[in-house]
Amino acid sequence: MKEHVETFPFNPKETLTSNGLEGLWKLLKGYRLLYLAAAVSLFIAMSSKTATYLLLRFFIDNILKKHAPVYWYPIIGSGFLGLALIQGSFTFLSGKLSAKTSESITMRLRNYLFNHIQSLSFSYHDRMDTGELIQRTTGDVETIRRFYSEQAISLGRVLLLFCINFVAILMIDMKLAILSIAIIPIIVVVSLFFFKKISYQYNRFQDQEARLSTALQESLTGIRVVKAFARQDFEEKKFERENYRKFIEGRKLIALHGAFWPITDVLCGTQLLAGYVVGGLFTIEGIISIGSYLAYSGLLIWIIFPIRMLGRLIVETSKARVSYGRIFEIVKQQPEDLSSGKNPDPSKIEGKISFDSVSFRYADNSPVLDDVSFSVEAGEIVALLGPTGSGKTTLVNLLPRFYEYSGGSLKLDGIELREYSKEYLRKIIGFVEQEPFLFSQTIWENIAYGAGRKVTRSEIEEAAKSAHIHDSIVEFPKGYETIVGEKGVTLSGGQKQRIAIARAILKDPRILILDDSTSSVDSETEQKIWSALVKLMEGRTTFIIAHRIESLMKADKVCVLDKGRIIQMGSHHELIGEEGMYRKIYNLQSSLQSGGYLAS
Amino acid sequence: MPVKRFEEEDFSSSFNGRTISRILSQLRPYWKLVIVFVTAIAVIAFLDSYFTYLGKRMIDEGIIPKNVNLMFSIAKTYALLMLVQALFVFIMIIVTGYLGQRIHYNLRKEMFSNVQRQSLSYFDRTPVGWIMSRFTSDAEKIADLVTWGLLDISWAIMNISVAIYFMLRINWRLALIVLSLVPILVFVAARFKKKILSEYREVRKINSRITGAYNENITGIRVVKAFRREEINLKAFGDLTGEMYRASYRAAWLSALFLPVVQILSAAALGSIIWIGGYEVNLGQLTIGGIQAFFSYVTFMLWPIQDLARVYARMQQSIASAERVFSLIDAQPEIKDKTGATSPDTIRGRIIFDHIDFYYDKDKPVLSDFNLTVEEGETVALVGPTGGGKTTIVNLLCRFYEPKGGKILINGIEYRDMSLQSIHSKLGIVLQTPHLFRGSIRENIRYGKPDSTDREVEEAARLSGAHAFIVKLEKGYDTDVGEGGNLLSVGQKQLISLARAILVRPEIFIMDEATSSVDTISESLIQRGIEKLMKSTTSFVIAHRLSTIKLADRILYIENGRIAEEGNHAELIARKGKYYNLYTSQFAEEMQKSLNREG
Repeated sequence: MKEHVETFPFNPKETLTSNGLEGLWKLLKGYRLLYLAAAVSLFIAMSSKTATYLLLRFFIDNILKKHAPVYWYPIIGSGFLGLALIQGSFTFLSGKLSAKTSESITMRLRNYLFNHIQSLSFSYHDRMDTGELIQRTTGDVETIRRFYSEQAISLGRVLLLFCINFVAILMIDMKLAILSIAIIPIIVVVSLFFFKKISYQYNRFQDQEARLSTALQESLTGIRVVKAFARQDFEEKKFERENYRKFIEGRKLIALHGAFWPITDVLCGTQLLAGYVVGGLFTIEGIISIGSYLAYSGLLIWIIFPIRMLGRLIVETSKARVSYGRIFEIVKQQPEDLSSGKNPDPSKIEGKISFDSVSFRYADNSPVLDDVSFSVEAGEIVALLGPTGSGKTTLVNLLPRFYEYSGGSLKLDGIELREYSKEYLRKIIGFVEQEPFLFSQTIWENIAYGAGRKVTRSEIEEAAKSAHIHDSIVEFPKGYETIVGEKGVTLSGGQKQRIAIARAILKDPRILILDDSTSSVDSETEQKIWSALVKLMEGRTTFIIAHRIESLMKADKVCVLDKGRIIQMGSHHELIGEEGMYRKIYNLQSSLQSGGYLAS
Repeated sequence: MPVKRFEEEDFSSSFNGRTISRILSQLRPYWKLVIVFVTAIAVIAFLDSYFTYLGKRMIDEGIIPKNVNLMFSIAKTYALLMLVQALFVFIMIIVTGYLGQRIHYNLRKEMFSNVQRQSLSYFDRTPVGWIMSRFTSDAEKIADLVTWGLLDISWAIMNISVAIYFMLRINWRLALIVLSLVPILVFVAARFKKKILSEYREVRKINSRITGAYNENITGIRVVKAFRREEINLKAFGDLTGEMYRASYRAAWLSALFLPVVQILSAAALGSIIWIGGYEVNLGQLTIGGIQAFFSYVTFMLWPIQDLARVYARMQQSIASAERVFSLIDAQPEIKDKTGATSPDTIRGRIIFDHIDFYYDKDKPVLSDFNLTVEEGETVALVGPTGGGKTTIVNLLCRFYEPKGGKILINGIEYRDMSLQSIHSKLGIVLQTPHLFRGSIRENIRYGKPDSTDREVEEAARLSGAHAFIVKLEKGYDTDVGEGGNLLSVGQKQLISLARAILVRPEIFIMDEATSSVDTISESLIQRGIEKLMKSTTSFVIAHRLSTIKLADRILYIENGRIAEEGNHAELIARKGKYYNLYTSQFAEEMQKSLNREG
């Protein structure tokens, strides 16, 4: 079941073009022959359909009219069946081949986008809305899939039907053939005109649908407020307004369809009737045979009626072009280069880090870090302290090169950080986040997540024990097989954090980054997390975004940050001795602990 | 239980006669329109077949005998009838479309008004997304079934019957051959369509997994990168798209097989018509025009048969949809007014929780034998660990839930004897996660008291401390808050929801305080606002901030559904018990943060 499906290897990036249609053509690369085969099959199928009418002509003129022997009847009868078999097989083949083409291209595109998006930099992800990215990778990809599997094929069918049957009528009589398409341009124009309008109105209808859904969702998610203020009637009126608008937009859409179909019915009918009558006159005059007339009147339907779908198909093609453009805005982005750079033996890394006038700015040029200088010896613990927005998080994000520092020099073991490959840095640096992200997989998969190698069950349990989470895990009915997240068990903040610690323990990084907030955790859990962290920090260079006094006291060095600058730095003992923010915070916290503040 | 499972069941287990008749009953108020549209379809279907018949007459009576006049006169009839048909097509589309939109509209309306009446417990166990899809896809499927589905069926049946009638008129022996084929065609086509539908259901399932995979990888991108999981994740995703490829390829070629199979079957009929028709022509039983007519009838009979198959295949899905929609419409609210419920003018007075038992889940009691008396005007702060029962107490007081045992008395009256409206309209509630509605700030503050003046709104905003930031905004009180209030910060939303509660001049004030989203200056502003409000009302606060707790007359430490400690702040600190322990650590962080902000 899980074997890999191979697609033609190809980088969609090569199709980059501003012209959507050209891009759609380029995307076909590797499957063009297959798609062509689908078109040829379609051609054969359509041709045998046309041949049915020509066989009818032969039957009338050469068998019935000439009173040929009766054994011809079953032969002709089987001829019809034979043509139907050809038509059927090739219709099927064409469907199968085009499905293979469109599904392969879509799979290739999906895989490419998935990989491409995960290799784009943090700054891109910061900029882009998740919903928007998902809409493009699913909705727009689906539009493109439909283009290859349905619209392009339908367009081909309409055009082939027209051409093949027109040629067949030409063979019967040229004048008749030309007359038979006299009104066709009008039909095409009318259909295009209407489908532009219909498409516009359809979008409005959809927009209203979206507004209705938003209104509904808002009332439902805010139901506590609605009830608390006893405003059900008001909500009902609000919903009613949007509901009624949708009804109105829907009626407008219907009105357009109501106009389009009868108008084109009359147009097509007029063309058809004109053909019947003129064809009849030609027959009476003896210009064409009665068999030809029969064939002609059958063929005529197939060149007239499909034409009115052209408008819809062309309008839909433009949707595929728009989707192509939206997807390729993502493809255009340069992915991060993970692999180039130095990859020394991780066990030789000591973990000495020095910041020398490091600065970092966002794309809009506002400084986040400014002239930051300090150094950390191997195995030391550095605590970072400072208000929200002071740059603590950005500072630690520079280490695995999630963001690239824009000025100064940042060295690991005396080598500029930029010279290491990103992949390497991320391998030797471990993270424990304040609100860790767990994947909706089993707990053991989540712990094994970052090991980067095969790990045994006992290793995982060992890590979980060190992180003081093992006992909680085995209490779940499914133990380590428990699935985390929406579809499984909802874990508390403290449990998530300890799983993240176990994950980091298993990864065994040289450098560790911790965000040690314990808000929303009771004191017993806090103690557990803390002792897990102490174990994890042993022998590793550690950066702690510190919130509590134990971290500050444990740290070899404390950096107090404000507005992107270091305002105080030193050991705990040194800093207590100075006037400044650190002492203020320390005094406050210790008085809190002794209970003095609360009693006051 | 109105709603139990949230996994989508696409198919109803059986054809349920009552559900079907209830679906059809949606049309009852519009029976006149239904008659119009059935008539229109009958006319259209008749004319469709009649045109073929006219074509036959044109050949046999006009062209072959070389009677130009008769040919023209038949053509004239043809043209006239064509206009008539266009008119009926117009009527049919407009009427059917109208009915479809109308019924969808009616269902949405009915569902919404019933959903609104449900108790909070309903929303706690029913995901919003589940309710949403009842409104959209399910309601639409019902509307489609009674309109376009009904149209397709009636058109198909009439079309086939009329065609058979004309075939019988032309040559009954050939007509019988065709007639015998129809049931086989319909049967094969319907089986096929069902199979295809179920294949596509599989595709949809995988598709939602793909969306989920994208979502997770994008939202978890930091972890993915920090642990260098790109390659492994891509491989897992590749397996998923591979599954998708196989499933959708299979579904696609199955549907590509459908038309050819039906076509080949009908070609067998065509073949026999030629074979036997030849003899019939020789015997003078069939004209050349007749052959032409049979040819057309058989060729175009494919469409009605396809329609029948499609409607049949979708029918079960639509019935399943209908069952879900009706279950929503029929759901009974668990909490509603008793008959003869009173509506007192005021709910001021002593509040008594008298031997209250409560659970959400029978096996896990939240409160058992809980007793509490709160005097009028008193301010009670509820503190304690998560899951201890603080929120439950507040939910019971608001009558979002009702006690399973015991009773709650407000001003001496058992509160179940009062109307919900009379209680809710006198509550002021501020929730931890403040929910705002799309619209302006003013509209949001006014939410609980729509007839209030702009001055009153501003007054409330001043009291809540929101006024200062509001006037700094470019559009002031007319600033749009965005969907769910997203254009404002959480702290700002809290201030506005506080103003909203202040404006209704509540008699009981309830606040579930958020921990840390308001800056220091706003905090002191709020403080003053709340203080005033608390003096005039009986107040319950689930408190996190020391400053709020200090305002309380009484602090209850709630743990495991019981009051573990009780007293004012100084008393509880002096006791050095649970309250003391819990808050030393929490305040440490709070104070550090506020210091950080100042620093």
